[in-house]
Amino acid sequence: MNVEETILALNTHFPALAAVSPRPLRVFTSFTEPKQFEEALRFANGTLGYHKGKHIVGTDEGEEIGMSYILSNDENVLLVLRERVPKNAAHVRSMGELYPSLVLHEREMVDLFGVQVSGLPEGPRYPLPDCWPEGEYPLRKEWNPAFFNKQTTTYEPPKEDDAK
Amino acid sequence: MSERNDHKVVVPIGPQHPSLKEPGSFKITLDGEKVERAVIEIGYNHRGIEKACESRNYMQALYIIERVCGICSHAHTSCFCQAFEELAGLEVPRRAHYIRGIVGELERLHSHLLWLGVAAHEIGFDTLFMYTWRDRELVLDLLARIGGNRVNYGVNTYGGVRRDLESELMADILRVCDQLEEKLKYYAALALTETTLIARLKGIGVLTPDDVRKFSAVGPVARAAGIMADTRIVEPYGVYQEIAVTPIVDDHCDVYGRTLVRVKEMLEAIRLIRLFVREIPDGPISVRAPRKLPVGEVLSRVEAPRGENVHYIRSTGADMPDRVRVRAPTEANWHGMSHMLEGFQLADVPIIIAAIDPCYSCTDRAIHLVGGGINQLTDWESIRLHSIEQYKSRGIDPSTIKMREF
Amino acid sequence: MLLSILKVLVFPGLLFLSVYSLVLEFVDRKVYARMQNRKGPPWYQPMADMLKLVGKKVIVPSNAQKFVFSALPTVSLAAVCAAFLCTPVWGETAITAYSGDLVAVLYLLTIPTLCHFLAGYNSHEVYSTIGAFRTLTQMFAYEVPLFMAFLSPAILAGTWSISGIAAFYHAHPLYALINLPAFFVSLLTSQSKLERTPFDAPEAETEIVGGALVEYSGRYLAFFRATAIAELAAVASVLAALFLPFFTGIAWVDFALYLVKTLVIVLMMVLLRATMARIRIDQTLRFFWSILTPIAMAQLILNLFLRGGLGL
Repeated sequence: MNVEETILALNTHFPALAAVSPRPLRVFTSFTEPKQFEEALRFANGTLGYHKGKHIVGTDEGEEIGMSYILSNDENVLLVLRERVPKNAAHVRSMGELYPSLVLHEREMVDLFGVQVSGLPEGPRYPLPDCWPEGEYPLRKEWNPAFFNKQTTTYEPPKEDDAK
Repeated sequence: MSERNDHKVVVPIGPQHPSLKEPGSFKITLDGEKVERAVIEIGYNHRGIEKACESRNYMQALYIIERVCGICSHAHTSCFCQAFEELAGLEVPRRAHYIRGIVGELERLHSHLLWLGVAAHEIGFDTLFMYTWRDRELVLDLLARIGGNRVNYGVNTYGGVRRDLESELMADILRVCDQLEEKLKYYAALALTETTLIARLKGIGVLTPDDVRKFSAVGPVARAAGIMADTRIVEPYGVYQEIAVTPIVDDHCDVYGRTLVRVKEMLEAIRLIRLFVREIPDGPISVRAPRKLPVGEVLSRVEAPRGENVHYIRSTGADMPDRVRVRAPTEANWHGMSHMLEGFQLADVPIIIAAIDPCYSCTDRAIHLVGGGINQLTDWESIRLHSIEQYKSRGIDPSTIKMREF
Repeated sequence: MLLSILKVLVFPGLLFLSVYSLVLEFVDRKVYARMQNRKGPPWYQPMADMLKLVGKKVIVPSNAQKFVFSALPTVSLAAVCAAFLCTPVWGETAITAYSGDLVAVLYLLTIPTLCHFLAGYNSHEVYSTIGAFRTLTQMFAYEVPLFMAFLSPAILAGTWSISGIAAFYHAHPLYALINLPAFFVSLLTSQSKLERTPFDAPEAETEIVGGALVEYSGRYLAFFRATAIAELAAVASVLAALFLPFFTGIAWVDFALYLVKTLVIVLMMVLLRATMARIRIDQTLRFFWSILTPIAMAQLILNLFLRGGLGL
């Protein structure tokens, strides 16, 4: 399945994705809701033959967390499927049974972005140390390493009143 | 240390273990000598590189990206620069592409030589280890002459390369290639004939083509299973658009196949370096790069010595990236590791782990660890003060330039 | 009487053994390094290592039996020293030559291996336990071909005394050629007994961090190291006496010949160590039982046949 066929198939079945190809061997889509995203992912895995889960790029979208799943097929097209979840209720389902290679990256989303992933197999956390405090998600934009106390592992950003 | 349940022993390999050159933890459940279950715990080298890039401008980020890995630093900057250039719409001069190619292939040579040595050491063949690391010095010396450093050469910059290759240096590169080729042919013959070597490597750590797809393995691990996953061929970039790479695949699907692939790749790298040196055009080595990138995102990939290296940059139009994601090749190869280990013997564990050529720093990228070691680091402010001093001594006063708070 | 005690304690007994085993270790390491294109250690390095180890703190694991833990290194060193005294160094006859000393030597040389096993098993640590069981497994692999290979020249000579065997081959030097297959087998089995590459699975550093001795430190470890290098000297001496028995009858020339012979044997062992990868324990078992044991058996039958059938 080459780039044109992928775009055609995706845009026919999921017009909301608005698949485009900015350059050869790349297909980018826009952010969708988790439910539609899951359908699209299953479609890509089943019908389109994107069997390789490359990795997940987490992004901070202000009030939301974006997750871009990068998939690939035998023709080495990189397909980016994305979903968006609200920051204060970040919750997605694990895609581990479709793509075993994405489990590690889902764990990374848990640690670095604070996305709850249900259905993850048991295993060690990744990549933060075991003593890392709860509720600290380093790759969220509001998290500033300057306010992280390495000795007490607490995070103390200055209050707005102090700034004034 | 040991935990016993159901008469099974759990052997901890790592985080500190003689067979691991970097920290990583493998909890191996043994049934006799047979590995029944392997739990992999990585993340000991998480340094916060991605977060660090988000709070630096692009020029500073390039220096951080160079330090993602100590072995394939050039592959990472190549990929990052390529992403930047794609987004900025820069046309890189041909000579720069060739220089990137030469350094990239030299890096592949030294990485694979390093791997061969480590692999030999894991199976107790220290003589081969010493030989390959001796030969690797030749390449490292060349790289030190090209970039001024043995590992972080700092050759790449946005829009081209920072250092030109003089004809004298290129003659030396060719000379080293001649010396190395002879030795590599010997190692290739050794890998094909040495009985104990073959006995230790053949049939272990099997990853079939289906498994490669399932676990999305890359690089020599995929190529040893007969899958031509070489970015230089499937998506030619830079110099490889002009000079084709000979595909190297193997159908052993095991550690032995990975060894053969790597040894052959070294010979191929030598062929490529010779071609590059012969065909290198004259001209400028870089074009002027903008400080800011237009709004957009880019997914770029190059073939690092260990496999496909994917970088993602998202720009919001500022002089700092909004998000940088480095997917190093080792990261892709971890997924299949438990599968490769299970069912084989404890004695095979180190070599199977080594066979993906694991680079823990690459995988974990990214914050210095909690507690300890902080006072040994120089903080950002004092580096800045030091550089201001340096520039002042040359008559430039940069202290009025404000540094971005993060 | 006093002379005998001096012989045992000084020369060619224990003092000579300690000096010569350090020399052999130096040769082993230096030649190994040169084969690997390295510079290698200076001549005093084995001595310096040993002294440093002796000075280090001893740590005994809390769950190990202290007495056994501390007695094992001494027992194994004593056994090797006793074995060495039965091999001819100065002249044709050993200090303590008696009928059947070859069998005694073979059993004495088994003791360090058993001590290794007990040391590993007693340490109650996962790596050392695995190392201990590998030591024992490997012993079951090499012991049978080793015994058969070492006894073959004895059967041909019709005596069970090492000095007697040496004397027999001194009288009939060409018969030594018959034992070449046994020499080949005994070199490989000795390599395995000494746990050197390619048969160093029991102490594979990159897999089980040194195996049985992982919990040992300080002077106990120094004793085990001393055992290892004394064992190298003792095995080389026995091999020299059994398979390279060329004597002149002049004591100091024989001593020089002894040095040359043992050095040649050690060099062969270094060559084996430098040119091969470590094989797995199951491969070791298969190699010994399916290749070396038949060769040794054939040699044994041949020698029995020659001795009895041809009436040598």
